[in-house]
Amino acid sequence: MSDHDSNGSNISKRNNSYSGCSKYSGQSSQGSYLPLQAEIVDIDVESPNTYLISLALPSGVDFSYKPGQFVMVSVFGLGECPISITSTPTRGSLQLCIRLAGRITNGITDSRIGDVLGIRGPCGNGFPLDRMKKDILIAGGGSGFATLRSLINYIVDRRDSFGKVAVAYGARTRQDLYFMQEYKGWQQAGIDVSVTVDIGDEGWKGNVGMVPALIDKFNLPAGSAAICGPSVMINAVASKLMARDFDHSDIYVSMERHMKCGVGKCEHCCIGPYHACQDGPVFTYDMVKEVL
Amino acid sequence: MKKILTTCVYCGCGCGLYLHVDEGKVIGASPSRKSAASRGKLCIKGWLSGDFVNHPDRLSYPMIQRGERQIRASWDEALSLVASGLKGMGPSAVGVLTSAKGTNEENYLFSKLARAGFKTNNVDHVARLCHAPTVAGLSYAFGSGATTNPISSLEEADAILVVGSNTTEQHPLVASYVLKARSKGAKLIVADPRRTQIASLADIHISPRPGTDVAWINSLLNSIIKEGLADRDFITKRTMGFEAVKESVLSYAPEIVEAICGVPAEVLREAALAYGSADKASIIYAMGITQHTTGTDNVQALANLALATGNLGRPGTGLYPLRGHQNVQGACDMGALPDLYPGYQKVVDANARAKFEKGWSTKLPKGPGLTAVEMIQSAETGKIKGLLIIGENPMVSYPDRSSVQRALEKLEFLAVCDIFPTETSKLADVVLPAASFAEKEGTFTSTERRIQRIRKAVDPPGESRSEWEVAAELLRRLGVPGDYSSPAEVMEEISSMAPNYGGVTYRRLGAASLQWPCPSRDHPGTGIMYIEKFPIGLARFRPVDHMEPVEGPDGEYPLLLTTGRSMYHFHTGTMTRRSPLLDREVPSPFVEVNSEDASRAGLRNGQKALVETRRGQLQLEVKVSPGVPKGILFMPFHFSEAPANLLTGASLDPSSKIPELKISAARLRKVSP
Amino acid sequence: MKAFLPNESLIPWLKDLSSSLEVIAPVDVEGEAVYQTWKGQPPALVGNTLSSPIEVLMPRTEVLFRYVQDSGRYTFDEPKVPTRIVVGMKPCDLKAVAILDRIFGSEPTDHPYLAKRRSTLLVSLNCTDPGPWCFCAIMDSGPDAQEGFDLALTDIGSGYLAEAGSAAGVLLIKGCSSGLFLEADGSHEASRDILLENARSVMAEKYGDRSVGHLRRAIRSADWEYLGRQCLRCGGCSFICPVCHCFSIADLGVPDGERVRCRDTCLLSGFSRMTNGANPLGSIGERMRNWYLDKFEHLPERTGLIGCVGCGRCDEICLAQIDRWRLEVLDERSRQQRQQHK
Repeated sequence: MSDHDSNGSNISKRNNSYSGCSKYSGQSSQGSYLPLQAEIVDIDVESPNTYLISLALPSGVDFSYKPGQFVMVSVFGLGECPISITSTPTRGSLQLCIRLAGRITNGITDSRIGDVLGIRGPCGNGFPLDRMKKDILIAGGGSGFATLRSLINYIVDRRDSFGKVAVAYGARTRQDLYFMQEYKGWQQAGIDVSVTVDIGDEGWKGNVGMVPALIDKFNLPAGSAAICGPSVMINAVASKLMARDFDHSDIYVSMERHMKCGVGKCEHCCIGPYHACQDGPVFTYDMVKEVL
Repeated sequence: MKKILTTCVYCGCGCGLYLHVDEGKVIGASPSRKSAASRGKLCIKGWLSGDFVNHPDRLSYPMIQRGERQIRASWDEALSLVASGLKGMGPSAVGVLTSAKGTNEENYLFSKLARAGFKTNNVDHVARLCHAPTVAGLSYAFGSGATTNPISSLEEADAILVVGSNTTEQHPLVASYVLKARSKGAKLIVADPRRTQIASLADIHISPRPGTDVAWINSLLNSIIKEGLADRDFITKRTMGFEAVKESVLSYAPEIVEAICGVPAEVLREAALAYGSADKASIIYAMGITQHTTGTDNVQALANLALATGNLGRPGTGLYPLRGHQNVQGACDMGALPDLYPGYQKVVDANARAKFEKGWSTKLPKGPGLTAVEMIQSAETGKIKGLLIIGENPMVSYPDRSSVQRALEKLEFLAVCDIFPTETSKLADVVLPAASFAEKEGTFTSTERRIQRIRKAVDPPGESRSEWEVAAELLRRLGVPGDYSSPAEVMEEISSMAPNYGGVTYRRLGAASLQWPCPSRDHPGTGIMYIEKFPIGLARFRPVDHMEPVEGPDGEYPLLLTTGRSMYHFHTGTMTRRSPLLDREVPSPFVEVNSEDASRAGLRNGQKALVETRRGQLQLEVKVSPGVPKGILFMPFHFSEAPANLLTGASLDPSSKIPELKISAARLRKVSP
Repeated sequence: MKAFLPNESLIPWLKDLSSSLEVIAPVDVEGEAVYQTWKGQPPALVGNTLSSPIEVLMPRTEVLFRYVQDSGRYTFDEPKVPTRIVVGMKPCDLKAVAILDRIFGSEPTDHPYLAKRRSTLLVSLNCTDPGPWCFCAIMDSGPDAQEGFDLALTDIGSGYLAEAGSAAGVLLIKGCSSGLFLEADGSHEASRDILLENARSVMAEKYGDRSVGHLRRAIRSADWEYLGRQCLRCGGCSFICPVCHCFSIADLGVPDGERVRCRDTCLLSGFSRMTNGANPLGSIGERMRNWYLDKFEHLPERTGLIGCVGCGRCDEICLAQIDRWRLEVLDERSRQQRQQHK
């Protein structure tokens, strides 16, 4: 900001105090809209339309994040869009799980190793690990599972800090399931993992059906829950959990919204008085149930 | 930071707006309170009309074809090529398609270029695809082919009949006056196969089977005469030929017409009563009426209705053919038509030709030239060898795209002048970069005959030039006298040649506007036409009969495809699809389908479908819409990646030569994912 | 500090200012007052302009930065911020600035806005002649400016009473050529009070029935589906509102180009539509309701200020002529039709 200040003539130099509410916290440098340049160091294919991209940030940049946060990713010339972080801060590189959905995501996946993407963030609040109970149920549907992987691997790496943990995850078909090679490791870490598909086929021996049906299989004390997926699924899982004495304020939902600025200004991601990009994307179920 | 008053570049409403300019760039647009037409209001496209001006895709230098590529060239080289390339083909093998997006001055000069420069009357423009039947039909009936009353006059109507016009989406300003009248108690009757927004706001919605307009309009007249609602006095004093029409509509009793159109007789009777019993009734119509092989008859049927009820020449009455381009009216006025000189003076009239030969100091060709669609068709047969296309994209906007492509590829020489690269410019031997509306001076004439200034807000990008400069330069190279230093000077020549513009000068236009006819410097212009008399003396009735469309649905192609526009895009999308907000609103092509037809094809909302006609097939997203009746598919034509006109046919209305864009037999299939 | 600027000193004072600053003032362009860079012409300091001078802080389109590619890496170039003084800003627009300051000034702060805000001086003009649509007095944002100005002017006939609201404002009076400003006396202030009281009562008489409570009730009871059917979807209410600040961001140019932000409108379905096609605000009625909720419920919750300043511009430009305060379409017949629809 200092260089802007120097533009003023004598009389325009003054110490303005802006009486903005103090509700928000975050890195003030985010509001400049200038992205960092992150180099693509690895590309993997998760499903026919989903890519896992690993990024290296410029050296010396402090980029600490929490599970559940997201970044604004740019392909210069095409624009910027929000992508949830799928890696855990407990491990090295920054990973994004990118599903082909539009112009920009197509642009990202057209990139090659060595290309740069613009990154702003981390944005949003992430899962409130300090407030969550030790016993955690994680439920994901479709591409919403990408953000939950960050939380799961975080728990794996800090296993002693958590109690009973269960993962329920569903995708459309076997081919659409993300991170299949990691389930075994999660189970070895003592996490109860249950996976289902909407449409089964000959090669699939597992569950066929909806994610909420998996909840019944778990023997889990009333703890915290982290959910991300379609509204119908969120509501169904939440109501099952509340029937099992989960408090609605212990059920955390990661919300998807149209986003542009990522800093709570542009109003695209409004959920009532909240901005999904700043007050969210993680909300307690009672905060958002009316819009689900 | 400055603001420049100008006129909107999109539809024909002629809204006044200020372009916001900062650091030499257009950064926005906002309404002008003083605009006679829009009075401080704009539609979404108007608010965003400055968006495309800065787009990096703008053409910024001339290009010529070298082998497979178009390479940068100098203006001198490019213009010499155009002048010599076209001149060499000989008059009968050359055509000029001018632009309804250009100014009056530009259309005048290109009309002059074709006639005086290339010695051909093969000059036409996009009006051929929108209101050629209006020019033909209303010129016959009244003696002039334009909107009869100012838009604001609608406010005073007691009944408004809207036919084949998606007014709320395509002419929102006109719709705002319709809604104003409605809120004061006017009856609103809307005829459209689709239940559009304005249809949903109507008192009576007539949903006819496409292609049956003459039948139901005749039935309205049938009921009106039967109920004694015809204006005997007006018919006697102001018209001729009523008896023949009266006779011919006898066979269009509502019950008979119900069987033809699928509109309940009761609804037709109710509509006839609402229109016929109103003291002041207006008719609004658009492409839904004109883009048919019976386009001219459809227009005449509406004219018969207005004449029989005396709904002309007074506030709150009249006919409103709504013009789709901001200056399609002006392009017609300027004689960008194969049979008419500027000011609607006939090419076949020896006196008119003598007048222009004298005015332009050169010999002029005799006999009318080819129309736009005929030029393309003749290119395919090799009769037309060279085309100059100004600001038009026939590859997307003309019917039967495959044959358009064959025709353009067959040309020996194609020159295109435009602001963006288009599907058409990619085929050109010479591409000339043009200035946009924000970068030049000139005038547009809106759908209500209102002549308004546009003003230069910023410099054109790179080397691009105003089209009037291009035309003037080509004229000079072809040895036609005329040395123009500004569009104001061109307007001086126009006013000396076109009687309806006789009193128009830039000085008079200032911040105000003039509605033609404005024959002399002291004439205030004409708001309402035909108050005292018609230009042809008595207005002419003409009996018209129902004829089935050329290509109806059949066993093989059981559905009927009709095309149109989305509110958020304009024409072939070259401008609106470069506006971030407009493009985001409707980012991709779609076909609207009734839920029954969709489920029969096993299609759900959002799925991909294959739409086929005898001309071709397209894959696009299905929008299941309750607004589309059973048996009908609706598709906007803005999208070059799924050009609706790949599917349409080029059957022509015999008198106006408009193609039947509104009706193609089609079928619908699911595309397996 | 107070001073008096006689009518004949107005232009010399603006000339004085324009020697060191870009002066933005309303001037007559083809018959209508619009804000633009002042170049010596007589300022059109009457009535309120249709486009708010808020555009100086929040332009319809602005460049966030320019990106230039060089062997796979980018360099960024942020635009320079001009130093400007806006003369003539009405109290309603000034109140809008206060609201925007809270929105863009809250963490994480919006650098492009604040950069412009910090290099822009605001000279307001109190409203002695409210326009036909004005109801700022009802919204407590006029007819006189309470805060946020560097200098506040009141047209008292023979000239302008000038009151400084900041140190910069004092300098605007003291720092200019001598003799332009005269000493203000009690009679100047008395005239100001009479004129403003008159403006206040004009608005109270016309729009006394409006209140925030009333509108909040209207938001709850309005038939949004019906209003949505009337709306002509021009988005004008968002583009014209000095408080509306939503924007979109787009890239123009490959490989080099500009990342721009442009003012957006939440009335468009694409505003909230997500890439999967789902839309939390799926109908035009819901989006209209959201427009109102944001101003009258959510912004107050976030900023402590009501998101409407009573400038009346959205009433004036509404293409569908919806009564934006009653949330009705005015005529009796529509209401009857609506009853029948139910």
